[in-house]
Amino acid sequence: MYSAQITRANPTCIILLIDQSGSMADPFSGDSSRKKADFVAEVVNHTLHDLVIRCTKTEEVRNYYHVSVIGYGRTVGTCFSGPLRARNLVPISEVADFPLQVKSSYKRVSDGAGGWVEIPVRYPVWIHPAADGKTPMCEALARTKEIVEQWLMAHPRGFPPTVLHLTDGESSDGDPYEIGQQLMSLGTDDGAVLLFNCHISARRAAKVEYPTGENSLPDGFARSLFQISSRLPTNFLAAAAQLGVNAVEGSRGFVFNGDPSSIVQFYEIGTSLTGMTPYRWMDDESTRSELT
Amino acid sequence: MSSAKQSAIWDLQVRQLVLPKLDHEPSECEDVIAVNTENSRFAVADGATEAFDARNWAERLASRWVESESALTVEDFREWVAREGRELHDSWNGLSLSWYSEEKARTGSFAAFVGVELDLMTNAPVWKAIALGDACMVHCRNGALVKSFPLSRSDSFNAAPVLVASDASMHENAMKSLVIESGECESGDTLFLLSDAVASWFLERLEKNDLAANDFLQTQDDDRLKQFFDDERVSGRMRNDDLAVLRVEIQHRRMS
Repeated sequence: MYSAQITRANPTCIILLIDQSGSMADPFSGDSSRKKADFVAEVVNHTLHDLVIRCTKTEEVRNYYHVSVIGYGRTVGTCFSGPLRARNLVPISEVADFPLQVKSSYKRVSDGAGGWVEIPVRYPVWIHPAADGKTPMCEALARTKEIVEQWLMAHPRGFPPTVLHLTDGESSDGDPYEIGQQLMSLGTDDGAVLLFNCHISARRAAKVEYPTGENSLPDGFARSLFQISSRLPTNFLAAAAQLGVNAVEGSRGFVFNGDPSSIVQFYEIGTSLTGMTPYRWMDDESTRSELT
Repeated sequence: MSSAKQSAIWDLQVRQLVLPKLDHEPSECEDVIAVNTENSRFAVADGATEAFDARNWAERLASRWVESESALTVEDFREWVAREGRELHDSWNGLSLSWYSEEKARTGSFAAFVGVELDLMTNAPVWKAIALGDACMVHCRNGALVKSFPLSRSDSFNAAPVLVASDASMHENAMKSLVIESGECESGDTLFLLSDAVASWFLERLEKNDLAANDFLQTQDDDRLKQFFDDERVSGRMRNDDLAVLRVEIQHRRMS
């Protein structure tokens, strides 16, 4: 299971499900200058950039992935706009061709001889930050289930869909357990849908990352999210190990009370799929200088 | 199959096969074989699927190495790769690239490489080989393994080997993984240069004492051999990857 080769004939599906409720406008604790929504939008744009680059073959982007970015807050729906507006699932080649804008920056890298050189880099933007309304998590998971069901009708074989869900608060429309279980019961001949959940917190609360059991979880909401989080398959565990994350056999794809670094690792691990080396863009952050 | 008469004493029987991944076009294959019977140099390069211009980099590494008279020491190889890498990067200048191709090109290209040179001017032929990555040279005698490198077991292959980078700034670390080996041959010995998927498969056959694999590679025509490898990949016994098989059999020449 979870070993199917991802090819153009057998692509996989990746859904990024993002909480865009009003509380996402709050800053992370200890960093009053940075709103959660801004940081999450930046990480999602980097994740899309990474997925495009992985599929780039010289001058062509191969459709190994079909990608969806769903936001929920005041409304529930796709976060894509511009030419991709109203599209629930988009082949990665079209994601590549239609960013809203491409920013140019410089990055400092080793010159291989003990010095540093600055090289130009591109930062495409597909989604903008949003934070408004309540937290209709059940409705968002139901919408995700519809998208996955539709995709599975056309792709019953191959690596199963991965859903990376990020939220900063409790559901405002009920317990997500039931709809989460329904989503996790879908799948392909290579395994059930992978649903990973990352809860982030503005409070200075102890974070729990990739637990194997519920004992360390503080409340019923945390336990509900744990129960609708898939076990990390072997390849994802290998990716976690490469990032220095403590995940073991039986660990769930689940983070509670996560901080900014948890978010970055969550997306890196969650998109590592069949053993791909995690894309570590965060290392370069300190040496980046925005030009435009 | 081709025959190369390199010395008064030894004959070489050379056979090669390159196949793209299942359901892929031959033009998408990034495995390359190069043969130079004049100087008895043979090479296999396997362009990294995720790299920019990987096919050209693999092609350049294999074809230029067999034409070279050097690049068989760490220092020579490093210098030679840096030169080839610069030429590859120069060939991209002036291209009008999309943002993603530009990003991809920035990290350069990558390929696994293995090359071997035979000295046939002696009573006991000597091979000297150089490898970086997971393309392997396998030396067999009577169907059994004598030596395999840089990887020696079927379970040693992983998804992220150190490869030959076209960008010289990566060579400081990468060249630490460069492997150079040598050995002696007897009449009837075979040397295989193999890209990773078929190398892993072949070593597994040898570990299971399946001597038929060696015979099969020797006796079947190209169509049957292609069908055989397609079946192995469909069944999952071999990973669905491009494959390159170069088989060099060394025979004592019959005196007329």
